[in-house]
Amino acid sequence: MNKLTKAQTELWEMDELAKGTSPIHGLHPLAKLAVTVFYIFTVVSFPKYDLSGLMILVLYPVILYQIADIPVSTCFYKLRLVLPLVCAVGLVNPFLDRKILLYIGTVPITGGLVSMATLMLKGVFSLMASFLLIATTPIDQICAALGKLHVPQVLTTLLLLTYRYIGLMIREVAVMSESYALRAPGQKGIHFSAWGSFLGQLLLRSMDRAEELYSSMLLRGFRGEFYYVGLPKARGKDWLFFLGSLLLFLAARNTNLPELLGSLFMR
Amino acid sequence: MHMADALLAPAVAATMYAASAVTVGASVKTLKKDEASAKLPTMAVASALVFAGQMINYTIPGTGSSGHLCGGMLLTSLLGPQAGFLSMVVILAIQALFFADGGLLALGANCWNMAFYGCFVGYYLIWRPIMRSGLFASMGAKGAARAKLVLASVLGCVLTLQLGAFSVVLETTASGITELPFGVFAGIMQPIHLAIGLVEGLITSAVLLFVYAARPELIQDVDAASQGGRCSLKTTLVILAVVVAVVGGGLSLFASGNPDGLEWSMFGNAESGYSENMGLDEESYGVSSGAADVAGAIQEKTAFLPDYGFMNSDSAAGTTVSGLLGSVMVAAVAVLVCCAGGFFRKKKTAAKA
Amino acid sequence: MLEFRNVSFSYEPGTPVLDNLSFHIRKGETVGLIGANGAGKSTIMKLMLGLLPAQGEILVDGMPVTKQNLSVIRQKIGFVLQDSDNQMFMPTVYEDMIFGPRNYGLTREEADARVERVLKELGLESLKHRHNHKISGGEKRMAAIATILAMEPEMIVMDEPSTALDPVNRRRVISTINSRKETKLIASHDLDMILDTCQRVILLNHGRIVADGEAETILRDRALLEANRMELPFCLQGWKGR
Repeated sequence: MNKLTKAQTELWEMDELAKGTSPIHGLHPLAKLAVTVFYIFTVVSFPKYDLSGLMILVLYPVILYQIADIPVSTCFYKLRLVLPLVCAVGLVNPFLDRKILLYIGTVPITGGLVSMATLMLKGVFSLMASFLLIATTPIDQICAALGKLHVPQVLTTLLLLTYRYIGLMIREVAVMSESYALRAPGQKGIHFSAWGSFLGQLLLRSMDRAEELYSSMLLRGFRGEFYYVGLPKARGKDWLFFLGSLLLFLAARNTNLPELLGSLFMR
Repeated sequence: MHMADALLAPAVAATMYAASAVTVGASVKTLKKDEASAKLPTMAVASALVFAGQMINYTIPGTGSSGHLCGGMLLTSLLGPQAGFLSMVVILAIQALFFADGGLLALGANCWNMAFYGCFVGYYLIWRPIMRSGLFASMGAKGAARAKLVLASVLGCVLTLQLGAFSVVLETTASGITELPFGVFAGIMQPIHLAIGLVEGLITSAVLLFVYAARPELIQDVDAASQGGRCSLKTTLVILAVVVAVVGGGLSLFASGNPDGLEWSMFGNAESGYSENMGLDEESYGVSSGAADVAGAIQEKTAFLPDYGFMNSDSAAGTTVSGLLGSVMVAAVAVLVCCAGGFFRKKKTAAKA
Repeated sequence: MLEFRNVSFSYEPGTPVLDNLSFHIRKGETVGLIGANGAGKSTIMKLMLGLLPAQGEILVDGMPVTKQNLSVIRQKIGFVLQDSDNQMFMPTVYEDMIFGPRNYGLTREEADARVERVLKELGLESLKHRHNHKISGGEKRMAAIATILAMEPEMIVMDEPSTALDPVNRRRVISTINSRKETKLIASHDLDMILDTCQRVILLNHGRIVADGEAETILRDRALLEANRMELPFCLQGWKGR
């Protein structure tokens, strides 16, 4: 099935990107995780009319994408999943909030228009930031960072194990979908009569796989402990990146830099 | 119905993170006693499978469209609520991280909206009471189990999706993101998710029926009733109340969202069913942090629902023309929201573009 | 090294999978376990590793397979699963390789040294930090063998080690098997590989040992093989071209 293979390619692509060797890839995963979360927090904390203040934050992802050598365009493909709901919610604003905030020439700009734009930018910015994190940090390092933050090992291990088997499961579902489609030409999806058996078959097989997997763990002395490659030690540049970004975000949040910039040219 | 980062205010996002984190902590703690390590491989493989299975299109008979699986109830019925919850959390985390479905900040909210309701509410309020009850006893042991399985799956999916959709509305409104009045937003979300929930419930029950026929021991609580549990009057009443509440609640919202729509008057008591549904909610929420918000919002909602139909809301929409335009927009929004939920990944169109 | 004494097993009462089985594998031997589907090959492997409870007596290095001995026995016998994807569950090859040694109490340094040594012996150094979900089928099988060797077992048990491999990778697995000094038990339908690797063959049918002896003798016996739902190895079928 097309959709499935695409999902797998998408997953593999992220894996490839994360293997890069740029300075951003080399940063401590915990620092990147913290900065990303803080960035998104800053972005969404902007008031709904503060379009100009928010604009400055576009610089963070754009600059880091360049340093990390990742084309900005790669992340826009992912927007298709986030934007519909954001748009759906944002699009009504111009019609419901008609308070006129300012005029550009004779064209009135309403509050709704501004809040809609702000909302969409928030969506785009936060996506860019989290994409950057994944594109520069392998999943095992993210899990290690989460472990440092006291996320229970059951959860991080489950995350890694699931990630390990997603490709396999996608392939199995894809193979079954193909064999279904070959015998049911012209059907867009799984027919009602096969709803249960389709996923059910896979499920039973997966349960056998899980059993086998567990015996493979037991045979190698598993007693509930997993051993991963640990995290590197935080160095000066990691702290610099972390604290520097923090300060810049705070500054951007508290002073409207674009307006300041604009006022320089408006006399 | 994945929440997006942009739709959340930091405070709301943090609250939802806290609520989900507490649930994760509690689940991990409960599981520890219960040999979490032995369950890990099964959890991992099952969540990987559900992740892949979410991309399967199921043709809905009699319509041109197709339905999808979200998997909360399915995972719960196979793994139990705690393990099911953790598995759903992992699925949502991978979706947020690698597919930008949802977002990093919205992950807490998404875990709550989809995993918490689907696993805990679905299990303790629907799955276990129904599976352990003596309902359908006249159909023989196997027949009764099958019938209960279908009932529990469908009810569970419908209820948990209603709760999830309602939470999306609550969280968005609490974040002060949208100008859309609360009632209208809910009026759009709830009926859509009623349909989605029904389809999900049917898919889930189809899969579980298959599993039950082949390996009944894989399903939680399935033979509990055969050990002689009799249908107590209380269980039956509780289940009946939930049925009425879910159906009534969904329909009343549908009605309020479409004042000039179909003749919903035949469901005259739908309003009362709705509040009953919400009354039940408060119980199920227990003492969790979200309870206060929810309860407050519920009161608010039930209070202003009647005089807050869309057509009357000229506080913002002044003229009739804009009112008309607004309704067109709402219709467009309904379609968009429909496409936006996690059930509809529009990969094909995006790839063509 | 491994001894089965009157071992029986059944999943459901009345339908025995293994029926009063006895055999003995000496240290350093390489034994092929052959038989049609459902003959009981996998069950034998699971029994000696204590994954299934047996009736009768199974001795590993003189030790009975009991709950108290499991940890020692599983250290002595390394089991290479048929599906390498089930064997390799950690994110990277390296993490998979240290999983066993670390669980058996080795420090990270000791485990690291073992990993390095095994990877070098098998010529797999480039695989060390690769992700398990992204390496090819042939690499995965070799890596799975490496994870088992990193546990330094005295005996290696392999379930269908050559399935779904291309000729080059199959050859690679065969030469790896031949280069190992450990005691080996190999279950397979790939009789050519058994002929290439084993001195002794045990032929099973419906849970009983039909033949146990020198590999060449058994694998050349067309009547015996065909009576037990097998056939001659391809290299002995006298293929002369079209």
